[in-house]
Amino acid sequence: MALLRRTLVNLSYCLTQTVYNTPVKVPNRAIKRWVAPTLRELERRRKKMESQPLQPRTSYLEWNYDAEIYAFAKRLGETFDDALLRRAFVHRTYVIQQEIKGNETDLQDNRELINEGESFVIDCIKKHFQNKYLPDVVNALQSYLTSESMLSHVASHMGVKDLILSADFPVEKSTLSNTFKAVVAALRQSTDEKRATAFINDFLICQLNGKDIFDVWDLSNPYEYLLRVLKEKGYSEVEPRLCNQSAANTVLANYQVGLYSNKKLLGIGWGESIEIAKDTAALDAIQKLQSIDKI
Amino acid sequence: MTTNKSLFLIPKFITTPSQNGVGRYVCQLQRVVLKFCKNHGSSRGIREFIEYDLLNFANKNPEVVVYLKPRRHRGPVIKAEYLNGDDQIVFCHNNTREEIAKWLNLLRTQSGNHDGTRLRKLWHTDYPSIQGPWTPYTFRDPALNLAEFPNEELSRPLDQPKTATEELDELFKKQQESEVAESSEVK
Repeated sequence: MALLRRTLVNLSYCLTQTVYNTPVKVPNRAIKRWVAPTLRELERRRKKMESQPLQPRTSYLEWNYDAEIYAFAKRLGETFDDALLRRAFVHRTYVIQQEIKGNETDLQDNRELINEGESFVIDCIKKHFQNKYLPDVVNALQSYLTSESMLSHVASHMGVKDLILSADFPVEKSTLSNTFKAVVAALRQSTDEKRATAFINDFLICQLNGKDIFDVWDLSNPYEYLLRVLKEKGYSEVEPRLCNQSAANTVLANYQVGLYSNKKLLGIGWGESIEIAKDTAALDAIQKLQSIDKI
Repeated sequence: MTTNKSLFLIPKFITTPSQNGVGRYVCQLQRVVLKFCKNHGSSRGIREFIEYDLLNFANKNPEVVVYLKPRRHRGPVIKAEYLNGDDQIVFCHNNTREEIAKWLNLLRTQSGNHDGTRLRKLWHTDYPSIQGPWTPYTFRDPALNLAEFPNEELSRPLDQPKTATEELDELFKKQQESEVAESSEVK
């Protein structure tokens, strides 16, 4: 009985305590078990959504066009005229887009710069190679280096992608290659021809590093081409000789043909038939004639 | 079907983006964004870096655009953007000022984001073989050019041992030769 009374007293004490001083709620310091499921659900919803369109870097909060232009010139190690460099990035499509939107802009587009840059780049490459190689090789090199894919590759690795002002997004290859030409023209106008030539040397012609001449130049009939070149150079008759052969009439047949002129070896080549071996020998001879083993 | 593909690092070879350094060297880091909180303790190191070292960094590397992005009560982050289009995010929670400087130096000198990759070779060469690939005609004995087939000498197996008769023959020949030499000396 006494025990019961004591508990009752205790109970009443507790009740009065709760009424008069509200109990302090101890925060739960355990592991937050809702975090992982919530994140998982968010991830699931994100995946369920259709893929969002790419946002241009210019639309980010952290974007400063002036700083980017400054850094671009510093990256290339060149000093540009600021207005010219800015103009090199403004494409005709952007100006038209602004006009349609009703924004009044006094921006000049880069059409003239592109034209000037294109002819300058072609001239520069031709001058660089014309004393060393045959005209056909020079043409092949020039068309390889000024192809849209090559110029756009070089331009995108200079960091022009985010600086370009044009209507197309993501920026197309043609826009990139045109921007490269415009930048070259801007450099030529801001400094001089010598610096612009050095620029093309360092950024465009160096792309030939590690390339073989026949990676760039597609020669369909090498033997006949060689005969024509040798005739112009005044060589006497060319004599193809079968130097070696093995495994004839099998799948692994191989022949080695050497091209001789006046008892001198011009070139040697291998192939699975004598005709192919003759052609590879002609390719070798053309390389050796011009000493264009590696460009 | 499950795979363990995600457990392994992606193998890569050493490459240079766009022949960098053949003409002139171009820093491949184009911009860096430092994201930090202005009063949270975990951003203390990055705040100190911004206060003391950032101007020097920006002066030394004018080709890198540096952005600062304060965000309330969120962890400090460095976001690097490279010329090849790579993004790299470095979480620098509780990092010191020196650690931030080291991270930035790494990002500045890298050619792209190499996270989650390993190099298959630590070197690269354009000429793996100087003498070229082997063909059936490399190191071929020139004597074979004039050989006429069928040829008894060339038809024999290379590893055929000498017979006892042949060895005796040789010994006899040697003996005779030495006798001739001795007799000529005596004369």
